[in-house]
Amino acid sequence: MFFRMVKGTFVKQWKKMLMLALTIALGASIATAMLSVMLDVGDRINEELKAYGSNIIVVPQSEAVRSKLYDIEGESVETDYLREQRIGELLTIFWANNITDFAPISDTYADFDGSEVKLIGTWYNHHFEFSKKGSVYERDTGIINLRTWWDIVEGQWLDEQSIGSGEYAMVGSLLAREHGIKVGDRISVTTENSSEILTVVGLYDSGDIDDSHIYTTLPVVQRLSNTENLIKKIEVSAITSPTDELAIKAAKNPSLLSGDEYDLWYCTAYVSSICFQIQEAIAEASATAVRQIADSEGKILEKTELLMSLITFMSLVGATLGVSNLVTSSVMERSGEIALLKAVGAQNIQITTLLLTEFLITAVFGALGGYFMGYGFAEIIGRSVFSSSVEMSGMVAFVVTVLIFSITILGSIPAIRIVLKLRPSEVLHGGH
Amino acid sequence: MRSDRQFFFRQILSSALRRRSRMIIAILAIIVGASILSGLEMIYYDVPRQMSSEFRVYGSNVIFSPSSEMDISEESIREALSLIPQKALEGYTPYRYENTKIHNMPVTLAAVDFDSASRTSPYWHIDGAFPSSDGEVLVGAKVAEELSISVGSLISCEQTLEITEEIDTSKISSYEIYTDPETGEAYADHKLDLKVSGILDTGGSEEEYVYMSYSDASYLTLVDRGYDIVEVSIASTHSELQNILSRINQSALDISAKPVKRVTASEGQVLKKLQALFFIVTVVVLVLTMICVATTMTAVIAERRSEIGLRKVLGASDSQIVTQFMTEGLMLGGLGGILGAILGYFFAQYVSMNVFASSITMRPVVILVTILVSVLITGLASLVPIKNAVKVDPALVLKGE
Amino acid sequence: MSLLELKNVSKVYGNLRALDSVNLTVEKGEWIAIMGPSGSGKSTMMNIIGCLDTPSSGHVILEGRDITKESNRALTELHRDKIGFVFQQFYLINYLTALENVMVAQYYHSMTDEKEAMAALERVGLKDRAKHLPSQLSGGEQQRVCIARALINSPSLILADEPTGNLDEANENMVIDILKKLHSEGTSLVVVTHDPEVGEVAQRVVKLSHGKIVSDEMNTHS
Repeated sequence: MFFRMVKGTFVKQWKKMLMLALTIALGASIATAMLSVMLDVGDRINEELKAYGSNIIVVPQSEAVRSKLYDIEGESVETDYLREQRIGELLTIFWANNITDFAPISDTYADFDGSEVKLIGTWYNHHFEFSKKGSVYERDTGIINLRTWWDIVEGQWLDEQSIGSGEYAMVGSLLAREHGIKVGDRISVTTENSSEILTVVGLYDSGDIDDSHIYTTLPVVQRLSNTENLIKKIEVSAITSPTDELAIKAAKNPSLLSGDEYDLWYCTAYVSSICFQIQEAIAEASATAVRQIADSEGKILEKTELLMSLITFMSLVGATLGVSNLVTSSVMERSGEIALLKAVGAQNIQITTLLLTEFLITAVFGALGGYFMGYGFAEIIGRSVFSSSVEMSGMVAFVVTVLIFSITILGSIPAIRIVLKLRPSEVLHGGH
Repeated sequence: MRSDRQFFFRQILSSALRRRSRMIIAILAIIVGASILSGLEMIYYDVPRQMSSEFRVYGSNVIFSPSSEMDISEESIREALSLIPQKALEGYTPYRYENTKIHNMPVTLAAVDFDSASRTSPYWHIDGAFPSSDGEVLVGAKVAEELSISVGSLISCEQTLEITEEIDTSKISSYEIYTDPETGEAYADHKLDLKVSGILDTGGSEEEYVYMSYSDASYLTLVDRGYDIVEVSIASTHSELQNILSRINQSALDISAKPVKRVTASEGQVLKKLQALFFIVTVVVLVLTMICVATTMTAVIAERRSEIGLRKVLGASDSQIVTQFMTEGLMLGGLGGILGAILGYFFAQYVSMNVFASSITMRPVVILVTILVSVLITGLASLVPIKNAVKVDPALVLKGE
Repeated sequence: MSLLELKNVSKVYGNLRALDSVNLTVEKGEWIAIMGPSGSGKSTMMNIIGCLDTPSSGHVILEGRDITKESNRALTELHRDKIGFVFQQFYLINYLTALENVMVAQYYHSMTDEKEAMAALERVGLKDRAKHLPSQLSGGEQQRVCIARALINSPSLILADEPTGNLDEANENMVIDILKKLHSEGTSLVVVTHDPEVGEVAQRVVKLSHGKIVSDEMNTHS
């Protein structure tokens, strides 16, 4: 009989139940979409913040400040180098997948057109392969993604994959203007070690000191400075977790952490733990966070996530009120029917169970539909804003389910209680 | 007719006052919808400005450099800054660079005001403390490593000065004068003892400098001059920033203002994404809340079908019924809209204070749009069910139950 | 001229002939009870008399005017101007007071007049309950408000559908007394009922069965 009555409601009042299901679906879809975007926004914004360039610099451990300072005066001083073949070790660390881009960098001063110019050798879109202990690591990486703010004013990026890592160069806009350099020109640079003729493939505007430099391929600089297979530093861009207390504590000295803390720190993508792991992998290197980038990322992320979570919270409150509103009013609407049930002797508990069963069945369908709708909305947001899909976590499904069920129950119980308090005669006689 | 208009509103008022629980349900839905609308709109409009201010953690986004060989005077800095809207100026730090030697190692020293530097370069991480008085110095981590200096160390800067008329040797406490035998020029070896109050760690080129106060630098070099570079932090959108820069560059000041491309270009990119995110989130949430408001209104009207049937039996024309119920709906929408818009403002304010620690700009347009949209949505949401209810045969409604 | 004439009226719903060639004349001032078991066509007849519905065939003539072919709009005007309704369920607008409920009928008819509405309530003995909401009134009181509302525009005919159906005996008697009073004042009444007590007090009883009039007799006592 019970199920017959439930079935009866759905057959006779399918329109009302559909509307209820639809509202629940809308609420569930807001919750799903907002929660998914909220949980994902950190990673997405983090990827966007990669536009600021590398957040970790790997240098030889004993590299001295003197070299750079003397650069200003043009003297050259013996500097320590990293071995190029060790670059691949970067890809073996625990958080290797968080390393989005990296590029080895070497530089030297050379004679160009009668003046001394800084040449930087690096990778652009290098295809890199590294094998260790039977595993093969592959990456296409280079400086293109680490200099997103550069404008190519003429020509194009040095495309290593099509023209190779040969005698090519990109010239800073300021230097190009001073010397009248155009794309396609062949320029000659000379050091005490060798002399090279480079073909200019592009001119760039970086808005900083690089505008007076020449960027070329790594082998060219290595030949010019007689440092074959050696590099001066590696710029690394990694997706990191915002710095928190544990990270600050660990940054001072990881050995002071307790065992559990250490494990947690090591297995969290803090910039400090990634640096630490790089140093573990390349023992002769020192990896330091570029604070301007690494710290700021954390702050921007924190703000964005806070903003998103407050907006999500507001949307959830809105969805909750909207759904519970409709549940309440649909209980009220059925006061006549409820009074009739009471008049024929139904117990309060029986009526409550009947209504709750109906609503919960409706809620299941509504929530299910809403979840997929919300998934769709999240996908639209992800695709249109970040051009990547938003990751759906099981947690969202769980939270939405709990939310919808509690809204349905909390929204209907007070209304059912009100209706149950009415005397049947009043409802049945007292006008509609 | 006057009394009839009165009776018209008497009915509406009665409906509002005596069907309280239903009215609360309906108006609650509208208020929630309207407050989400106005709150999100305000946040959406304010996010670029607020976020831009947050992005200043990346450091200054504009550099003033001298346009001639001269250095930048304090007056021209002041004049250039006056061209920047007060609200947008987050901070500025003039730098003066000098070459000096510490323990026989050549280093570059930068004279700054530490208060402003901590504002324009929030990412500076200091082991120890910022210098709190003259005679204290902040040393870049690389310099410190090279010289084996730690916090609390005493260092002395040595400066070799050519004795010219400009230099007032009477200021120097201890010096020896010697003469270059070839050129005949006189030099003085001048020393300044300083205490290291902190080591600067940034992971960038800042670690290669030694920072001290302007007065210490002036004393060390015995020259009081202007600045080599000014770092300026401006919180504004990309196009506003371009306007500000061109205003400064067109003024006849000896300053050339340039954006720090790495910071501005990247920021533009990220902000565009963020704003797009908030835009689409706002739209999605809005559409969904509007549907919620509409379904609630539909439910509220559907409930009154028998009342509509009764009124028809009593001789009400369709248009009379539509007019009455629409008036009710529109008034509900208006009231809900007003309350919601106000509530939304407080919500946006709350979010802004919590996230950005700054207040949100009150936009009357947003309030107006919110009220209009709520009236419109409520009206549309009521019209369809009313039209449907009016079509129903009164005999069926009255007999049906 | 008779108040109302049904000539050969039939109403067909699909295969069901709810009314089958019914002829009925109602004179001014007459009090007719229409009786019959459920499904006999009482409600259909009531809807047709009340201008809420039109017959499938035959003619309905109200005060000499054939309303069979009238538009919906004209029908609305007709039942507004000529007929006062009293229903089994006391359809009152639940957020309006007794007085306001009466005034709604005035409002849609012509103009509201609070004094007149008050007078109508006085006629049904509810002067002191005028400011009460339907939920604060008993069933009998609500039905009396409905009667006052039916009276307010001085209709040619009061049409009551089971006016005592939901009432206890005391209230039923009170309603019957009011109907008697109205009749004595010259109001024309058509009461659809299956309650013999209500039938008894009418002047004339028309019995329906399967859509046909099976008897039409004057009550002896009146």
